[in-house]
Amino acid sequence: MAILKADNMTKRFGGLVAVNALDVEIKDNSIHSIIGPNGAGKTTLFNCITGFYRPEDGEIIFNDRPIVGLSPDRIVHRGIARTYQNIRLFPNLTAMENILVGIHSHLKSGFFGIVLALPATSKEEKMAADEARRLLKFINMEGKGDFLAKNFPYGEQRRLEIARALASRPKLLLLDEPTAGMNPSETQAMMNFITHLRDEMGITIILIEHQMRVVMGMSETVTVLDYGKKIAEGTPDEIKNDPTVIEAYLGRGSAAEAH
Amino acid sequence: MTLAQSLWHHGAKTGVIGGITVLVIALVGMVESFNKRFIVADVMTMGIALVIVVAVLIAYNAAKRAASSDYPVVFANSLLAALITSGFLAMLVIIGNRINLRSVLVNASPVLYMVLTGGFEGAAGIFVILIAGGLSGVFAGILYLMPQLARQVAIVSLGSVLIAGLLQDLIRPILSAWGPLAVVSEWLFTQNGLTITGTILILLIIAATFTIWSLKRENIKTGYGHFPDGAQRNIKICAFIALAIFLIVLPQILGLFLSEVLTIVGLYILLGLGLNIVVGYAGMLDLGYVAFFAIGAYTTAVLTSPELGFFSLTFWQALPFAVALGILSGIILGVPVLKMRGDYLAIATLGFGEIIRILVLSDFLKPWLGGAQGAGKIPNPVVAGYQIAGPQHIYYLILAGCLLVVFISLRLRDSRLGRAWMAMREDEDVAQAMGINLVATKLLAFATGAGFSALSGAIFVSKIGSVYPHSFNVMISINVICLIIVGGIGSIPGVIVGAAALVGLPELLREFAEYRLFVYGAVLVAMMLLRPEGLWPEARHKLELRKDENDVADAQTETAA
Repeated sequence: MAILKADNMTKRFGGLVAVNALDVEIKDNSIHSIIGPNGAGKTTLFNCITGFYRPEDGEIIFNDRPIVGLSPDRIVHRGIARTYQNIRLFPNLTAMENILVGIHSHLKSGFFGIVLALPATSKEEKMAADEARRLLKFINMEGKGDFLAKNFPYGEQRRLEIARALASRPKLLLLDEPTAGMNPSETQAMMNFITHLRDEMGITIILIEHQMRVVMGMSETVTVLDYGKKIAEGTPDEIKNDPTVIEAYLGRGSAAEAH
Repeated sequence: MTLAQSLWHHGAKTGVIGGITVLVIALVGMVESFNKRFIVADVMTMGIALVIVVAVLIAYNAAKRAASSDYPVVFANSLLAALITSGFLAMLVIIGNRINLRSVLVNASPVLYMVLTGGFEGAAGIFVILIAGGLSGVFAGILYLMPQLARQVAIVSLGSVLIAGLLQDLIRPILSAWGPLAVVSEWLFTQNGLTITGTILILLIIAATFTIWSLKRENIKTGYGHFPDGAQRNIKICAFIALAIFLIVLPQILGLFLSEVLTIVGLYILLGLGLNIVVGYAGMLDLGYVAFFAIGAYTTAVLTSPELGFFSLTFWQALPFAVALGILSGIILGVPVLKMRGDYLAIATLGFGEIIRILVLSDFLKPWLGGAQGAGKIPNPVVAGYQIAGPQHIYYLILAGCLLVVFISLRLRDSRLGRAWMAMREDEDVAQAMGINLVATKLLAFATGAGFSALSGAIFVSKIGSVYPHSFNVMISINVICLIIVGGIGSIPGVIVGAAALVGLPELLREFAEYRLFVYGAVLVAMMLLRPEGLWPEARHKLELRKDENDVADAQTETAA
């Protein structure tokens, strides 16, 4: 069963067609990688799914309901969360505060409830703080919650950004190059972590990735984009041997040499 | 680096900066007009103190930049910097005595030269300037080479003398208010400046207290930490009660004039706390903030003033309308500027502030708002049949307002709304991707800030009993922004400190009034360079770990700061 379906989706910037009539289906509870050369439209696809761009054409169906035209904050409420290619934490907030902002969509208290310190508000705040602590523990950053986000080393910032996304309790998590700039052992740890998210928490994951070891090692399905078009889709093994993919990555002629 | 190179790179360059600084200070007339107030009676005036402080700071900076462990290098640098600084002044005196500069530089008067030369004529005067410069340089060098504790003691005690001298008009009436202390006041102060005994006494007492405190601070802190929880709570409650009593009796201690100053500071604290939500928390630069102050003020005036003759509600009946209208106008301003950020938002809000001022000034609205003549006879608030008039009573009304607004600000800061504002300040797109509704969150920030501002406006008109358009010019907005920046953006105690420093101090030091904007500018630049986080920056509150586990995080925030 598909949790997310893009149907004939097109996104243009002026004359440039960033995503061109794309059809893609993400199976529930899977890890689905989107790969492709730079400028292939991968991040644009993410921005369309999360509501930052509105595609000119086509539909995006999440859990059987269309989400095109919804504002990003409404889409979070539907259950989609994301991280960014270049980490975008709130640098001057603490780790705890970053995660608490992630929980925002599940908190209800209004202005008067907050000012009057109604019991419901206090209960909700306590619940949120407990959950944030639990998430910190989950990403192995217990005890570091009161440090400013900007002061963490790179790998921890990556994990914290994922924790912030998890805080909104998403059904679908979009990870934009989660292993960028990591050494092999950090990459391995991140791969285990992502697999763990899917296995333990039942979150469907869409992954933009450049490291083939990561893509091939953990995804069930791989979609290859080039110039905004889907040029191949299949299991990692199928993709590995697909001549069009090799051509897109290495240029014309390379495919012939490979055979 | 050779000595000559070091001197050129550190001493000479810093000295030129210092020379230009003191020239500007002298030529804008600050030295002369500050010369009327003595810090130490008949010994040192505020004007001279200002020049010497600048020279010492410059020389100290030169020594610091030289950063050498070599005593002669440090001394040579600080001495050179201070000598160049004083050299600029000496040149001014020499040139000024030959050529009449006053046609261009109005303040380059013979009186200024007399002040600078300490009253000596001719070569002797120049000599005095250079000697003073040299001594400042030597003092700065010694200061730099002192061990840290000794340096802190020296700076704190000398600074205390300076502050005691500057704030003599504040301290003297407070001391004289109470019989036994009046004697102390006579010991310490003359009619203009500290006595010599007073100066030495303050130096010694502050130095001794500070030394003891520095050496024992750790013991006291750990000692306090070892108290059982109950005792700690009792100490806190006692401190709280003491603070409450202090705030209640404050106007009686301060007397009429200082209470008046206090009410002005209080009104600015109210304004500052409101704008702090918009600028400090939500990160939206609002330069038209005075508009809401005006709306609160005029709403109260229209509803209460018999002179305008529409309604004659009491202050308390009008207050909810004033605040509600303020909130509403906050939302009305907010809607069109929702998509704007940064500079664009600042310009748009600036325009809004001017629109409101021009509207109340207009002939079109004159029948309702009184035009340029404004409106008078606005009644004072009445509490339980008792009329609140005069600064010593209005103080309590403003205090109550401030406490309410501080409480609301604190509650909001630590809630989902406060976090949403701060997330929006940090990164608007990501905040939205975290499920924050930008429209509602922005409008709420505008509305809350506007409500606080309107409250301040309502209290303001009932305090002065009348309302005029010129009370609501753009300078109010600028002042409020400045006090937030100086205090520390986003910090509630920072607003209070900033209001006291930027609004309270100029009221106490009337000489500054003329140079208010000059000083604001200098202070803002200095703050941005030296302490961009403000005088009292916001402390990140600890959410994950509670007491006893905070030591690591403490160290972290300190290094981060």
